[in-house]
Amino acid sequence: MHYEKPTINKIDFAMGSKYGSPVKTQKIRTNIAGINVNELTEKYGSPLFVFTEQEIEDKYNTLYEAFSTRYSDVEFGWSYKTNYLNEICRIFHKLGSCAEVVSEFEYQKARALGIEGKDIIFNGPYKPKEDLKIAVQEGAKIHIDHLFELNDLEEIAEELNIQIPVAIRVNMDTGIYPQWSRFGFNYENNEALEAVERMHQNGKLILNGLHAHIGTFMLDAKAYGMATEKLMHLKAIIENQFGYEIEYIDLGGGFASKSNLKGVYQSSEVIIPTADEYADAITNAIYDNNRSKKLPKLYLETGRHLIDEAGYLLSSVWGYKRFPDGKKGYIMDAGVNLLYTSNWYNFNIELDKRYEGENELSMLNGPLCMNIDIIEENIMLPPLNRGTVLSISPVGAYNYTQSMQFIRYKPAVVLIDKEGNTRVIKEVDDLDTVNYKEV
Amino acid sequence: MHTITQLILDNNVAFHPMMGNSYKLNETGKEIIAYLKEGQSKDEIIQTLSKKYEISPDELFIDVGDFFAKLRIYGLQQ
Repeated sequence: MHYEKPTINKIDFAMGSKYGSPVKTQKIRTNIAGINVNELTEKYGSPLFVFTEQEIEDKYNTLYEAFSTRYSDVEFGWSYKTNYLNEICRIFHKLGSCAEVVSEFEYQKARALGIEGKDIIFNGPYKPKEDLKIAVQEGAKIHIDHLFELNDLEEIAEELNIQIPVAIRVNMDTGIYPQWSRFGFNYENNEALEAVERMHQNGKLILNGLHAHIGTFMLDAKAYGMATEKLMHLKAIIENQFGYEIEYIDLGGGFASKSNLKGVYQSSEVIIPTADEYADAITNAIYDNNRSKKLPKLYLETGRHLIDEAGYLLSSVWGYKRFPDGKKGYIMDAGVNLLYTSNWYNFNIELDKRYEGENELSMLNGPLCMNIDIIEENIMLPPLNRGTVLSISPVGAYNYTQSMQFIRYKPAVVLIDKEGNTRVIKEVDDLDTVNYKEV
Repeated sequence: MHTITQLILDNNVAFHPMMGNSYKLNETGKEIIAYLKEGQSKDEIIQTLSKKYEISPDELFIDVGDFFAKLRIYGLQQ
């Protein structure tokens, strides 16, 4: 005879609405890019990060087309910090991206992947001088963050007896809150112009670019329009006053992905600007504010928008218990140490098949022996079995790079290529990995 | 046990007239309520279900235990 787990649920007549019943709806994902999720975990283990090349390429092409059809001289720099798994970086470089790095480690990673210095944008507030010198010698695009770095570069210029082409990072009010004023020199209080003046007096550096990174998960494309307008205005002043030719402007990253920011109740489909809206805002502002004969090259360092939706974490139910308040608590095999962005985003959590029974209020906890290990505090789920595989997405941005080995080993990462083949691009950690470099 | 006997079952819905609450049950849930009304203990119910569905008592101990926990939370079982 057919057995169903016994269920009893108090009927709450207030729960029904015109949007349907929360006790019936199940979000289901049987496969990722055509590959069954259960087959993936059976073959490669659980938990498991999964990336799909096709989704990366689709997002890249959509964004690139939105910009390149409006503005021909545009180049994307792959934001290593967003996801620096080698294979992911290779995919973006193959698509045409240069590298955007924010540390000596990321710089070395890009070089190890065969990226030439001239194709590396070196951002970030901390650039050790010896690494800065290497980047200078290799022709990287250095974006100066503060005056100490400016001094370091001038010393390097003297040591090498050369003039170094550089860009400066500029922060500004673009009408968003909170305003990011940590990176670079401020626009409104003339700090940026003072830095240029200071650079000009010594003559050891040649300013050829302006950069701004105005924020992350930006829900208003107009902010980019304002940032571009201010950079173009600054460009005109610098070119007039100091005679530098600003060859490029770089609008940084921050385009949103279709993730659900906590505390925002509209669907991500509704609130997130499209690629065309971002492109319109930036390119129109360039055309409207250009005062030079030549238009500048445009760089973008889009990370999250391009990779987030191409990444999934598969996690299996290990067990469940009933909490004293009536909520059902599932113990999953993946925890918040793998899902850094769970602090800010509500994930899309999908079941591997349709389950019998009505949904009830549940909590998803990870395997960490820590009370904070909560993947989802309140989620309506039907009775799940031990071994049920949940797909957690989007997790392509920042989760793997910021995940940490803690209590359990870091899981494997699998790539599904465009032909539908699956392969491990990072093996699961083991004791040797964890003990490596301990003395 | 006293409160369980007061549950009125109609299809998949049970109504408790004293508490004024309604509950939705699936087939196995209804079976357990029927066994409880007959006076079977939790262990006896596990054995009965194990024989009927050919499922290990250890697995049923978790599922039936969870069902009993819900009954306690709803005030239907001591």
